[in-house]
Amino acid sequence: MSLLDIADLTIGIPRGRATPLVIVENASLRLQPGEMLGLIGESGSGKTMLCRSLIGTLRRRGAAILSGRITLAGTDLAHTDEHAWRDIRGRRVGYVPQSALAGPNPVMTIAAQLREAILQGTPGTDVPARARELLDLVQIRRPERVLDQYPHQLSGGMRQRVMIACAIAGTPELLVADEPTTGLDVTVQAGIMQLLRDIRARLGTAIILVSHDLALVDDVCDRILVMHAGACVESVPANAAPRHPYTIALNRSRIELAEPGAPLLTIAGQPPSVGDWPPGCRFAARCSIAQPDCGLGPHPPLRGEAHANACLHPERAA
Amino acid sequence: MNEGRIGIAGGTVMLALLLLAGAAVPLLSEFQPNELVAIPFQPPSRDYWFGTDQLGRDVFTRVFAAVYRDLGVAFLGVTIPLVLGTAIGILLSLATSRIVTALTGSLIDAINALPLLVLAIALIALFGPGLKSIVIVLAMTNWARYARIARTRASVVARMAYIEAARLQGYPWHRILLRHFVPNVSAETLAYALSDFILVIMLISGLSFLSLGAAPPTAEWGVMMSEGRPFVLNAWWMTIFPGIALCWAGIGLSFIAEGMSRRERGAGE
Amino acid sequence: MATDDQQAARGAFLRRSLGRLARATGVALWVMVIAFGLIRIAPGDPVIALLGAEAPPAAIEKMRRDLRLDVDPATQFVEYTWGMLHGRLGTSIETRRDVADIIAESLPVTLGIIAVTLVLALAMAVPLALLIATRRSPIVPYVFRATTSVMLAIPTFFTALIGLILFGLHWRIAPIIGYEPGFPGNLRFLWLPALVICTHLVPVLSRVLHASLVQTRGEEFVETGIIRGVSRLRFAWFYLLKPSLAPSIVLLSYMVGVMIGSTVIIETIFSLPGIGRSLVGAVINRDYPLVQGIVLVFGLFVVAVSLAGDLLANWLDPRVGAA
Ligand SMILES: Nc1ncnc2c1ncn2[C@@H]1O[C@H](COP(=O)(O)OP(=O)(O)OP(=O)(O)O)[C@@H](O)[C@H]1O
Ligand code: SF4
Ligand SMILES: [Mg+2]
Repeated sequence: MSLLDIADLTIGIPRGRATPLVIVENASLRLQPGEMLGLIGESGSGKTMLCRSLIGTLRRRGAAILSGRITLAGTDLAHTDEHAWRDIRGRRVGYVPQSALAGPNPVMTIAAQLREAILQGTPGTDVPARARELLDLVQIRRPERVLDQYPHQLSGGMRQRVMIACAIAGTPELLVADEPTTGLDVTVQAGIMQLLRDIRARLGTAIILVSHDLALVDDVCDRILVMHAGACVESVPANAAPRHPYTIALNRSRIELAEPGAPLLTIAGQPPSVGDWPPGCRFAARCSIAQPDCGLGPHPPLRGEAHANACLHPERAA
Repeated sequence: MNEGRIGIAGGTVMLALLLLAGAAVPLLSEFQPNELVAIPFQPPSRDYWFGTDQLGRDVFTRVFAAVYRDLGVAFLGVTIPLVLGTAIGILLSLATSRIVTALTGSLIDAINALPLLVLAIALIALFGPGLKSIVIVLAMTNWARYARIARTRASVVARMAYIEAARLQGYPWHRILLRHFVPNVSAETLAYALSDFILVIMLISGLSFLSLGAAPPTAEWGVMMSEGRPFVLNAWWMTIFPGIALCWAGIGLSFIAEGMSRRERGAGE
Repeated sequence: MATDDQQAARGAFLRRSLGRLARATGVALWVMVIAFGLIRIAPGDPVIALLGAEAPPAAIEKMRRDLRLDVDPATQFVEYTWGMLHGRLGTSIETRRDVADIIAESLPVTLGIIAVTLVLALAMAVPLALLIATRRSPIVPYVFRATTSVMLAIPTFFTALIGLILFGLHWRIAPIIGYEPGFPGNLRFLWLPALVICTHLVPVLSRVLHASLVQTRGEEFVETGIIRGVSRLRFAWFYLLKPSLAPSIVLLSYMVGVMIGSTVIIETIFSLPGIGRSLVGAVINRDYPLVQGIVLVFGLFVVAVSLAGDLLANWLDPRVGAA
């Protein structure tokens, strides 16, 4: 049985009587316990929105789940109220927010923030001992020093390690890390990736890792889900050859650049913006093999099991 | 953006109406501002729209006779420090000596630290009460606020690439100053001047209210309010109407200032 | 590595604080010079202005000696500074009393007004800003901005007069004259003047606080507070207010200076025996030593408050001045 099951999930911003502004449409994904999934796509493709639906913070941004299912090991996350979220956040789903620099609360010491996370995750624990244990787990060498410090006194990598420590304080089954390495040095990035793998190995946590960087994700994840303009276009096992023209283009630009860690999503044209989606495949305007039927009907859904693809003409893609 | 435009338009209309009335009423009114026209303390009526004061003068005529006096003095009280302070600020930003920078910097800070009203009152002790003294006192003190803004801005301008380029191309200093520093810096000090205008109007009428500015029988809003103060319960119109005129001017300016800053912010986004 | 970081941070903090202190000292010195210079830049001879040109030469001579205007300015300044360090600020011409005594008597009244104003302003501005920042209505901020800019354009002395008419004369719930020193008793006389100053302080304060709250609200770390399910109170303090307060504190310490200006007028209108009313009286009587003493005390007070404000902001929000 899968740990997480998202089916036909549509997220948007309700606008009173007008039709809602759809941001993510018919997203589907399955995650096995202990699996590590990379989620990639250009800026604005809806990755963060999808992540927020897993931690229940859509409403804060004025967004809501419009239709579809999210099931986390038997629990329905799509129809959870604010009260029930308290038992899920931190305990069953851990969250590392986008951007390491802005993640921690700037006016609280690290100790105070860990304390909050620990008490949320496992009420009634011995906080100082657990804090030390967690800092140890995220490989921070001198915990006593870090505990008294404020975030701005720490380097970006250290801050992100602290955020990860907070996110796993309640030993969740699922850890969602939204671009945990954006803005960090390449070497620091690699360290954080290694840490996520370690955590998965030691705690058996399933991880959703959001990134802009196909190469990075390809190295550490078991599978990659590619999003484009609010839709899932391909779910590809790591190291397998991509089949969707969008992923192929991403992959090619990566090979051409041939520089690890460089921002890779540099393919021609812009994705259509939210509220402005054309009918049919939203990649059509940028696709070199687009056919007349690509622009008809709804966006094509993902088809296939192990390696799912939303392209209508996979045989033409090279 | 839209909100900014509404503010500017509304404020401009308010001020224009006031200025118009200030020009028209003294011309058209059958009374002189200092003429004793009726029995004292008459409430507002068809003949005396804003009533009459303790001497029997027409409050309506006096309120509008004061428009150009109050706003004119305020205009001087803003522009003189504005020009002085902008010039001083730009010049100070060019100073290279650290001692000069530190000394002038803390002098400017000290003048700004002293509450404007307190400093103005203290200086009026020397020059004697009067509207002229207020302008002198503002020139002596308020330049420091503009100088601080101008200096900060000017040092930013000085680091900009085109200044460097102009200098390398051998343009003479006065030309660089006039072409680049003055427009850039005065945009910022002018923006402050707009909100300063409100403060200065209040300062002028406030000092006059304390008998430290204009003196009776001058038709000036602060003076009129202070004359009405002892009779405020029975002859409220003596105090309220000049007060409303003062607030009207302040609110008009405040809408313009607010609108400008919102428009700027809108353009920045 | 952490050790270095921390030591560097501590060092930077110390350097910043010392720098701030040095600046404040420089400003305070200038304040002294300005206060001292006041009599000396007077056009004409202040003594003659004071006594009139027809005064007997002996009287003029005596007053010149009393004001120590007969020695050279440098000596005067040294004497003045020396006296100041020993709490001597000269003698009032009008009442022949010690200036320091007069100030010590009237300063508590003014500080009382300021304290009550601060408490009232915070009690109103913080909930107001929080309320507006947490409601997602497009209309409310608009009304808020329009209302506050109207309030800021109404001079406090006009508001004070209206307040006096309504609360003092019409409804008779505020005393219109008199004062009673001592803590709970003085509140009866201070609440209305404080409320009047609040008509300016609350708009400024709530605007700045609202702006920082809106900024904080959009920041990423706020989400972690929700995710950790902290209590409402804890959330409001640690995730909204505390990260937003620093600019307001700095503003507030600046506004204390502006408030001192307002107290001058307010004390006159409400007949409160504060230092501001002494100033107006001293100016009208040309009591130079008293004017000088009051300007000095006000100036030093403002410098001290602004230093305290900076340090408090730094304590509340460790990011301030770091970077
Ligand atoms: N409140 C909102 N109103 C309108 N559009 C919104 C709103 N919030 C988000 N969006 C839009 O939703 C889209 C998806 O945003 P999201 O943050 O999920 O993208 P992302 O894939 O995480 O991008 P990035 O890589 O930049 O983080 C964006 O185009 C954004 O402009
Ligand atoms: S569906 Fe058509 S347009 Fe879309 S990727 Fe496939 S071929 Fe290109
Ligand atoms: Mg994102």
